[in-house]
Formats: sequence, structure tokens, C-alpha cells
Amino acid sequence: MSAEEKIDIDLFKVVFRAMAQSDNLEIMANHLTQLLVASLEIKGCTIFVLNPEYDELEVLASFGLSTDYVQKGPLLSDKSIADTFSGKPFVIPDVKNTDKLQYPQDAQKEGIGAIVSVPINFYGKVIGAMRLYHHQVWDISDRDVDSLLVLAENIGLAMTYTRVLKALKTIRYTVDDIHDIWMLD
Amino acid sequence: MAIQKILVAYNFTHLDQKAIEFVTSTFARLDGIEITIFHAYTPVPEIETQASMVTGKLKSSLSYLSQQVMQRENEFKEITEKLAKNDLANAQIHTIFRPRKKDIASEIINLNRETKFDVIVLNRKAARVTRFFSGSVSHKVLMTLKETTVCVVS
Repeated sequence: MSAEEKIDIDLFKVVFRAMAQSDNLEIMANHLTQLLVASLEIKGCTIFVLNPEYDELEVLASFGLSTDYVQKGPLLSDKSIADTFSGKPFVIPDVKNTDKLQYPQDAQKEGIGAIVSVPINFYGKVIGAMRLYHHQVWDISDRDVDSLLVLAENIGLAMTYTRVLKALKTIRYTVDDIHDIWMLD
Repeated sequence: MAIQKILVAYNFTHLDQKAIEFVTSTFARLDGIEITIFHAYTPVPEIETQASMVTGKLKSSLSYLSQQVMQRENEFKEITEKLAKNDLANAQIHTIFRPRKKDIASEIINLNRETKFDVIVLNRKAARVTRFFSGSVSHKVLMTLKETTVCVVS
């Protein structure tokens, strides 16, 4: 029997409406993690941004996990569920039976049973990851994984938009700082 | 000596702990110190739960989210009460735990408009790519505020 599908159009509506309430990426990402944890009845959710210079994952938003677990140490993209960074989702249905985690003992100590990791893509490049943590072993349906990919794509779009907006604001502030004397007629 | 009002922005990280340690070692022995420890949390999203049967199912989930926020507030109180009893026993401690409406830097700037602080203590983690998206809190605060001492612990 296939796994139960939990993500439907109504959940999409709720999540997208909540995300649209804010023009701030951090608040948007926090709302997404909160709603996914609450509606899927899972332990936690974290959205990471990939730091390409150090190949480290930085936390953009997180909900449900302890501060100690979130700050357990640097998370390296080639050691922590590296398969996500080939651009495909990866499911660890049971954390006790995997060699894909960088900190497997911390995960068990935190009470995590399973992890789903989906990439956040930007024009075919992976710029981050969204991870969902379940208390127990998790048999997530393929369709729910696909739905999570769509949500992650939207976070990717929001990140792109925010980056462009920030660049525009920086240009505006720089131009505003230029005294009239330096402007050509 | 006039009362020194100090604001410490706190977000439950190890760096925030370092910022608290800095405040303790620098100001704890002085008299007439008022320390405000501030945390702005992301509020639970507002969702129209009456609109349909399905969204109605989210009601219990939203109350779970509210419980999580309350739990965080209790954690915040415990930390600050411990500080008030031990390391910062000499100072008057105030706490502000409130929902954020904007980015954290704007929340700090607005709070400083409400209560003029003499010193603001922030922390900064080096080489963070998330700054490209969310902006640097310390940079915005430093660029915006005037006549306020801003200490950045990194």
C-alpha cells in the first residue's frame, strides 16, 4: 500500500497565503517552516542557504528543533545528505539505518526518526535545501515529496526576488549619496 | 552618575551568549545600569480558519504553534531571570519578547526610538551568505542610529 498523501491543494493555499503576508524573506521562510511542521504533524523543519565559498549550509529559518541541534556545528554540503545537492530530493526513512548524515548521533539524541531533504533550485543550480524532520520512521509518498519540491522552488523564487530587490535598494542608496555637484547636466 | 540604558538583542544562539558575557564583564559592576534583553519572534501566521472545512483542520495546528511560541517565551524568561539573580544582580533587568513585523534591524531601530538606549549590543557571525538575502542587522543598525554606542560582538 502506498504512503498517505498529506499535502493537498488546501494546504498549498494556506501556505502560499501565509507566505504572501510578508515582504520579508526570513518571516516568509519562518511561516513556511511553522506551517509545514503544524500541518504535517512532524518534529521540525529547516530552510538552509548554501554558502558556496565554504560549501556550508546556513540556517535561514527553522522551527521545532532545539537550539543545540540547530547549532550543533558546521553543516557541510558534501557530508550532510549530499545527494540533495545533485538537485534531487532525498528521503531518509530511518535515521538509524543511514550513512548520509554528518551528525547521526545528534539526530538520534534530538529524537529525529526520519528526514526528507529537498533542494532549493535557482536556474538549475542548487542554492539551498529544505529539510523536514519526523519523530518516527516516515513513509512519505512520492507525491508529497513532489509537492515539497514545488514549495522549495517558491522559496527559491522568493530568495531571487529578495536578492534583486536588495541590489536595487543598494544602488538607490548609492545614487542618493551622490551630491549634485558630481552630477552631469 | 546618570543611568546607562543598555539594549541586548538576543536570539538564543551561542553568539548571543557571548554578547551577554560581554555585557556582564563590561557593565555588571557599574551602578545605575538598566539592561533590556530583547527578542523579536516570528508570529504565527494569520489564517482564515473559518473559510473551509479543510483549513478548519489547521486550527489545532495553529494552537500548537502558539504553544511553541509560549514555550520559547518561558525559555527566554528563565534565561533572563537566571542572569538577574547571578551575573547581572547589580543591574535592573528588563525583558521584551514581542512579535516582529519587519526585519530584526528595523525592530531594534524602532525600539530605540521608543526607549532611547545609550548602548546597543549586537552580535555578528562572520561570512554569512544569508546576509545577501536578509541583510546585515549590525550594518543597518550602525548606519541608521546616531548618538548611540553600538557594540558588535563577533
